[in-house]
Amino acid sequence: MVKEITHSDMESPSIKFHTPPELIRPPLVQNGRSLSWITESVASIVEGPTPRWWIVSFAITAPIAFMGLLCIIYQISNGVGVWGENHPNGWAWDITNFVFWIGIGHAGTLISAVLFLTRQKWRTSINRAAEAMTLFAVVCAGIFPAIHIGRFWNAYFLAPVPNSNGIWPNFRSPLLWDVFAVSTYFTVSVLFWYVGLIPDLATLRDRARSKFAGLAYGLFALGWRGSNRHWRHYEMAYLLLAGLSTPLVLSVHSIVSFDFATSVLPGWHTTIFPPYFVAGAIFGGFAMVLTIMLPAARLYPQLNDLITRQHVDKMAKIILLTGSIVGYAYLMELFVAWYGANKFEGFTFFRARAAVDGSGWYQWSYWIMMFCNVVSPQIFWFQKMRSNYIVVFVVSQFVNIGMWFERFTIIVTSLAQDFLPSSWGHYSPSLTEKLTFVGTFGIFLSLFLLFMRLLPMVAISEVKLVTPDADAHTGSSSH
Amino acid sequence: MSKRIFQHPADSETGKRYWRSLGQLRDTPEFRSWMEREFPQGASEFQGGDVSRRNFLQLMGASVALAGLSLSACRRPLKNLVPFTKGVEWSMPGKALFFTSALPARGGGRPLVVTTFDGRPTKIEGNPAHPVSGGSTDVWSQASILDLYDPNRSGSVLKHGKSSSWADFETALQEILADAKSGQGLAFLVDGVSCPSRERLRQLIQSKYPEAKWASFEPNGNDLELKACSIAFGKGTCVVPDLSQADVILTVDRDLLGVEGDLDSVRRFAARRRVNTSSDAVSMNRLYVVENRYTLTGGMSDHRLRLASSRSGAFLRALALEVASLLGDKTLEATAACFKDADFKAPESWVKECAADLVSKKGKSLVLVGQRQPAEVQLLGFAVNASLGAMGQTLHVRPHHVALSLTIKELSEHIAKGKTNTLIILGGNPVFNAPSDLKWKDAQSSVRNVIHLSHEVNETSEIAQWHIPGAHFLEQWGDCLASDGSYMVVQPVILPIFNGVSELQLLANIAGVEPDPLKIVQETFFELRNQAPDSMHNWIETLKRGFFPSTPSLGSVYSFNAEAAAKSISDYKYPRSNQGEFELVFLTDSKVDDGRYANNGWLQELPDPVTKLTWDNALLLSPRAAESFNIETGDVVSLSIAERSFELPALILPGHADDSLSVAVGYGRKKTGPVGRGVGFDVYPIVTSESPRFRTGARIRKAGKRYSLAITQEHGSLEGRGADLTRQSTVAEWAKNSESENPDFFKKMGIDAHSPENFSLYSHPPLDDIHAWGMTVDLNTCTGCSACMVACQAENNIPIVGKEQVVIGREMHWIRTDRYFASDPGGEAEPEMVSQPMMCQHCENAPCETVCPVNATVHSEDGLNVMAYNRCIGTRYCANNCPFKVRRFNFFDYNERSIASLYKWNLISEKGMPESVKLQKNPNVTVRMRGVMEKCTFCVQRIQEAKIAAKVASRDRQMDKAPRVPADSFTSACAQVCPTESITFGDLNNPDSRIHRNRKDQRGYRLLEYLNTQNRVWYLARIRNPNLRMPDAHRAGSASRESHASNPRGGLSNSH
Repeated sequence: MVKEITHSDMESPSIKFHTPPELIRPPLVQNGRSLSWITESVASIVEGPTPRWWIVSFAITAPIAFMGLLCIIYQISNGVGVWGENHPNGWAWDITNFVFWIGIGHAGTLISAVLFLTRQKWRTSINRAAEAMTLFAVVCAGIFPAIHIGRFWNAYFLAPVPNSNGIWPNFRSPLLWDVFAVSTYFTVSVLFWYVGLIPDLATLRDRARSKFAGLAYGLFALGWRGSNRHWRHYEMAYLLLAGLSTPLVLSVHSIVSFDFATSVLPGWHTTIFPPYFVAGAIFGGFAMVLTIMLPAARLYPQLNDLITRQHVDKMAKIILLTGSIVGYAYLMELFVAWYGANKFEGFTFFRARAAVDGSGWYQWSYWIMMFCNVVSPQIFWFQKMRSNYIVVFVVSQFVNIGMWFERFTIIVTSLAQDFLPSSWGHYSPSLTEKLTFVGTFGIFLSLFLLFMRLLPMVAISEVKLVTPDADAHTGSSSH
Repeated sequence: MSKRIFQHPADSETGKRYWRSLGQLRDTPEFRSWMEREFPQGASEFQGGDVSRRNFLQLMGASVALAGLSLSACRRPLKNLVPFTKGVEWSMPGKALFFTSALPARGGGRPLVVTTFDGRPTKIEGNPAHPVSGGSTDVWSQASILDLYDPNRSGSVLKHGKSSSWADFETALQEILADAKSGQGLAFLVDGVSCPSRERLRQLIQSKYPEAKWASFEPNGNDLELKACSIAFGKGTCVVPDLSQADVILTVDRDLLGVEGDLDSVRRFAARRRVNTSSDAVSMNRLYVVENRYTLTGGMSDHRLRLASSRSGAFLRALALEVASLLGDKTLEATAACFKDADFKAPESWVKECAADLVSKKGKSLVLVGQRQPAEVQLLGFAVNASLGAMGQTLHVRPHHVALSLTIKELSEHIAKGKTNTLIILGGNPVFNAPSDLKWKDAQSSVRNVIHLSHEVNETSEIAQWHIPGAHFLEQWGDCLASDGSYMVVQPVILPIFNGVSELQLLANIAGVEPDPLKIVQETFFELRNQAPDSMHNWIETLKRGFFPSTPSLGSVYSFNAEAAAKSISDYKYPRSNQGEFELVFLTDSKVDDGRYANNGWLQELPDPVTKLTWDNALLLSPRAAESFNIETGDVVSLSIAERSFELPALILPGHADDSLSVAVGYGRKKTGPVGRGVGFDVYPIVTSESPRFRTGARIRKAGKRYSLAITQEHGSLEGRGADLTRQSTVAEWAKNSESENPDFFKKMGIDAHSPENFSLYSHPPLDDIHAWGMTVDLNTCTGCSACMVACQAENNIPIVGKEQVVIGREMHWIRTDRYFASDPGGEAEPEMVSQPMMCQHCENAPCETVCPVNATVHSEDGLNVMAYNRCIGTRYCANNCPFKVRRFNFFDYNERSIASLYKWNLISEKGMPESVKLQKNPNVTVRMRGVMEKCTFCVQRIQEAKIAAKVASRDRQMDKAPRVPADSFTSACAQVCPTESITFGDLNNPDSRIHRNRKDQRGYRLLEYLNTQNRVWYLARIRNPNLRMPDAHRAGSASRESHASNPRGGLSNSH
């Protein structure tokens, strides 16, 4: 809508001033849906009969998850040897997968905490699912550091428990910081997610048709009655948790990057890692949110009024931004390697990674990473592409793949060919290793499918707050 | 007198026998009185701090010898258990006892000291008193301790493959001997070890059975050299080089510092390479090497010529003519001229300058020809030496103490005539490794009675009527001669674990003398020393020392018979190759030898010092030959030679002669224990008695298959890092950059030349112990023989992991020998080889320590980077952050699971280590479980032992502070074994210690100094001594230059 104002009191009638066109933000909830419609459409997903596609999907993902568990049991009982790790390559797929999943786990908290604090209202319709995804991704991430150690049953040595030996964990080790960072992140994310769920759980409790559902939702709704006092406490708690989570978004992946950055290995020993890892995590996390949300919105058409094109558009822009930051970091790494003139570092970057001459054994992984993470998101400069769900979905998959290869490139190219050529060694994953990774996708998707069936996928109460109806002053006319 | 009374338990027939050890000595009055004395004789010497452990061990060795003397002289002496709870006073549970002994081996026995704990030998060291050893040993001696406990050793007498008994065998033997009359049908086949007692029994047997045939067979022996010696110097002679006297050495197809040398040669060579100052360097020897493939000798060379083995004769002829013309020696010229002209011209300038160098050091130069070369070529070598004045100076002729025997060829001809009805084979495995044209299997099958004494049931035992389990040399008395001719007693340290019988016992039974090996050896000893048997003092002294020296060399007695040599040479036919054909060289493997060590896991898993191949043999060929056939490492090659065709994997070895192929013999055993069965490829079927060591006319073609080779070092190129990792210089260059001119010459190479000074942002806990342990590795003397790897494995209970795991890259060696090939651009065909032992560098500022989340790896005050296995949870972060990648992770429970079942689900598969193998373990070192990181500890158990000893010794003097361990009073296992004394371990704080001096050597540098890890291991740069007039002088040191070609396809990289 463009208003044309004619300034008739101006001296010269021939001159017309045009005010710049005012762009009206499209409403966050489309088609002017009412509050009750929102409740109805979100709750119906949980309350309705189990769709056939859900049963089919779960019948696929659950066995995959189970197979992953079997691989883990086999690995723990026989030893890390059932994987492909060897002497130069002490880590490979295990830590690649860990960093991959933990990176994915960044989007949820970013959406719920950072965007909450910066008053980005569009977050409301996707934050619940993104947070759930975060938790499940962190669950998958946590599996790998736990099982990659040689003596799983002694993992408790990592806990700073006073003991008769007087031995404490090594507080200088980034791996220990990792343990603290990831467990803190998981705890806070669970709390944050759960606190946000309480009003919606109460809604489900109130709508429950079976006694059991009522009891179950009621139990977790913690006696929510929606009183003013409840809301006041709730909002304070939510704000506090958002404040608490925000630094964690930055810290977790910074600390994960310290695992590499504080080492002496060429290709790991890089000061650029913390911001580069955080950007990469957000990048990968948003790609995974899109990977999950686009099919979900298609399967539940009623969500299309909540998860709209502008959500997808915004997420695509974030992917473009973070992808470019990551690309900048990649190039800066190369620059520093050249500028530093250290032959060992030079080898890692210009022979083992960014080359095509075969002197590095895993150069292909570098180029996969480069294409997926840096080149493919550039398509999002075009609005048309951002609004094409298929393009967005495909690019998201590229990003998922690219981010996995980023970690693989960092870990394996640096380890396989480091200082002493005598100790160089190839790495190739074993079947168990591959199936364990596939299994974590089974775990992730199974958990997400269960989440879709059992909990409201969209934060009902929060979405309502961003509808025009929620604003007492402007009513339903504007926002 | 009633202090200790031993109740002798009945001899157990079924029970475990492992504890039947030294304590099982007969309870004779002498022995009892010995033990019942409050303090055994000499025990007072053990008091106080001045007596080294070594003295103590000699003392103890003597005491056992004395006790052993009084063993009663029945046929199978009855021996009883002495429980450790009532043990003899000198046997302290948990304390090591040391005994001198010797490993009988061809080319001279190895003088040894055996470490035993509670009656079980766990470790072998060299005898420090013996000039041949000086405390060092070789790979085979180190690994022989594992053979002792091999659970697959033969444990019972077999008759036609079925279990029988010694009594049955004895009856049968007596019947055979009763029929033997003067021994027409009797034949013996033995190995090539010089063993005086066996020789004596042989004489007894031959006097009893004068018609008996006696043959010896040593597949990788020096029989061709002996043949040449008998022509040149007369019958019963052998040659022994003295490398300490040689300024210029030329080896022609001889792995002098590897499998064709002995400890003595290596040690004497190293003594002439060991330099501490730039002014010393001029006294270094110079080594010219002509060989077909890289050997350890080639790696140590100053000039190296790649040349097919079949062309050695032509090369030597050219050299001899050159030497003759320089010296004006008509005799040599005539001798060389007798050598039929060959179709090959040796590179002229190389031969010319080499000859000039040899001549310029006349009397101090030496030419050594490979033992694989025909006797005629060796004779020409002797002729050159004679002309160069080497005889009696750098090359000594000695009597060979083995009486002349038939060759296996002559024996098989004899058998073919049907005249043999009883064949007694002592050791060996001729069915497997006799030349194929002898058809030994058929020959042996045609003999009515074949008695085979062997420590394992092998291919030969399988078709023998009688198989007698052989005793390990540590289980029975014996004797042998060292390469310097000194007499050594093979002293047992444990009773036969698997009921083995020694050669001497069997021969004594045949000779009709009392089969008591101790008595036999003693009689030999007294006979040799012309002493009355009652002069026990000498015997005890000999046991204490482990040997008595030989009479001085009588080199002058033997003169070179040029005429006979010339006559013999003129009969020689030069081997010819057709176009497109290769010669095929049969290598002596540095691990399994002729197949005898096939079931030894340590040796199978030890990387070949040059190829780094484990668990296999492969066809070695040059990068160029490989390229022309489009072959890559791991491709299966079809090899055809004289109508026989084989398939075996190829391994591209830089520096290999282009028209030559090499393959190690001894692999592909079919009948042996599970470790060695089916490992590698058997090439004996193409070995013939005509060309036992190499033959021409081989053709190859790519078979189009791949084979997985377990190579521990995937990448052999230095990638331009030679100046950082393996620093080198030449004598001339060093002289220009001497201590006074450029003290930091070796320290400022590579990246260290332009790195800013290191500083740390953090304060580190002080390393304020009275000791500061450190190590230096002298790259100038290290040949890369890898004895340190096996020594470390034995000392530190390091498991083997099997071929599959090595292929993945999970070998467990704590110390490895890195081997690099490098060349200047354009010189890829003639690369330089460098070896570098690599172990934990014990960084003071260790990257591994900061990253361990559970504090499982920490630093001790005396500078050790220590591992707490119990604390380790196995994140492998430490290994990732180790710049040297020396940390080793237990990916599986290698100690508890058999190699074959690692991937079988843990809960349903068998666990446990064979009982006998447990006995080998060093009780002072933890056997690690799976999921735990491990690495070199600088032999912390030895450090602790030394510290405790120092503390005990000083308890009355200094109560207030910890005493200092005396300088160099002990050392780590790798340093102890090192034949070239390249590895030095010691206390950096002690000004008297060797390391204190070495560390100040100008050549000292630490790896990756720019990381500020503050390593406690210093490498001493290698100095090459090229002859600047040689055409290839510019190549010396190319491995250390900043940039050089690193061609990934040049064969330097072995990709999976």
